[in-house]
Amino acid sequence: MQEAIPYKSYMAATAGGRSRLHNFLEGAGNGGEHRLVANGCENSVTKLVVENAVIVFGRRGCCMCHVVNRLLLGLGVNPVVCEVNEEKEEAVLHELSVINGGGVQFPAVFVGGKLFGGLDRVMSTHITGELVPILKEAGALWL
Amino acid sequence: MEESKLSIALDINSTCAKVAFVIISKSMNSPTPQFVPSRLSIYEPIHQIGIWGENFKRNGNPNTSTSLIVEVDNKLENESETTSHEMLAPTNNYEQEASKPIDKIQRRLAQNREAARKSRLRKKAYVQQLENSRLKLIQLEQELQRVTQQGLYMGGVSEGSHIGFSGTVTSGIAAFEMEYGRWVDVQHRQICELRTALNAHISDIELRILVKSGMGHYFELFRMKSTVAKADVFYVISGVWKTSAERFFSWIGGFRPSELLKLDPLTEQQILEVCNLKQSCQQAEDALSQGMEKLQETVSSTVAGGPVAEDSYIPQVATAMEKLEALVSFVNQADHLRQETLQQMSRILTTRQAARGLLALGEYFHRLRALSTLWATRPPEPSLP
Repeated sequence: MQEAIPYKSYMAATAGGRSRLHNFLEGAGNGGEHRLVANGCENSVTKLVVENAVIVFGRRGCCMCHVVNRLLLGLGVNPVVCEVNEEKEEAVLHELSVINGGGVQFPAVFVGGKLFGGLDRVMSTHITGELVPILKEAGALWL
Repeated sequence: MEESKLSIALDINSTCAKVAFVIISKSMNSPTPQFVPSRLSIYEPIHQIGIWGENFKRNGNPNTSTSLIVEVDNKLENESETTSHEMLAPTNNYEQEASKPIDKIQRRLAQNREAARKSRLRKKAYVQQLENSRLKLIQLEQELQRVTQQGLYMGGVSEGSHIGFSGTVTSGIAAFEMEYGRWVDVQHRQICELRTALNAHISDIELRILVKSGMGHYFELFRMKSTVAKADVFYVISGVWKTSAERFFSWIGGFRPSELLKLDPLTEQQILEVCNLKQSCQQAEDALSQGMEKLQETVSSTVAGGPVAEDSYIPQVATAMEKLEALVSFVNQADHLRQETLQQMSRILTTRQAARGLLALGEYFHRLRALSTLWATRPPEPSLP
């Protein structure tokens, strides 16, 4: 269900807050993805992961990343997409590995604050029908 | 006989040529004290050609005959030196005039021998080159024949795309085509086995084995495709390795996963599950298709970018090449999707249904191949009057 966003969180426009606002305004399944470029501040990456039900990290212009996004959008999920510049790639990957406790590769999908996997995992869980329940549980899907 | 005389004649100065010709002929016909009879027999052109002929026939030991020839040449040169020395030694002042013409003759003979030796060496090198080219030609012909056979079997054209590629790429493609030919044979055998088994009503356990091996066979194909995609992804995506009718339905280098889902009869529960699978499959296919479109756009704009001036496009093309590497991922993901769909189907269906499904799928592709062959052998259109 869609909640009314109090004025305060609208003003505190963190990335996570913005995406929730857009969900409210545009409705799930419509509207674009939200492109963020990772800046040098490492904290922001962790923040993004924690604050968003679904977030996709990928290289800028990566077509596989595009596939993941299209698939998630088709399901009615509005993923936050973080396009990483080449220079920041290593730093971001490193930080994501720290969060995950292991290796991370692009494109990387985080669901409910944890690493979910790459395109492979998204595809196979989608075919087996496991993906949608997981997304719903994480609060990424409201249908 | 004529051959070596001619070659010698061509190589030396024309003024000397006739003299040398005469001298040689004379020396052949009447052995003079300067020439030892054994040397004469070696020097004979027929024997020389004999050496060459054997060399050519034996096709193996050019070295031994070379050394023989070199030996002969050395012998000749040494002896010519000694004889000319002999000739010169007794020369006194008052005999110098008399020895001059003989001196000239000796010099011309030496030159002649030298030219003959050089000519023989050149001929040897040429023959060596010819033999190497011949071997290479045989190899190429064998490979072409093998590839053409595969192409004929599959009713399609496959050789045309190999021109201009590096050796490793071509050999990777050739290896794949051979393996794929075998794969199709095994596929056909499995289909027949399935058909027999289903008609014979064998036990589920035995049927399960057939189903598993059938699915494993498809997974094997995906592995093969993954390997050759690393060598040349365009080859896989273009689908030249398939028959023409199969190519018509090609999606990212293979069949559409949703094509697996033409099935009946199903229970209600199964209908629901298959329906869900169909939808998921469709969504995944769409996502991949859109990704491919994006890749096309990206590559296209990269290639088109930059100034239009001649010779300035190298950076654009290089960048485009990097982007094209994503194509390999697409092929792998498409095959991954095919594999997952196959596995999910086997989970939803009973063993018997799965067996029937595999049979139907295999039969379908078999008919597509038959269609391609029929198409390829259709009578030509009558030309308009």
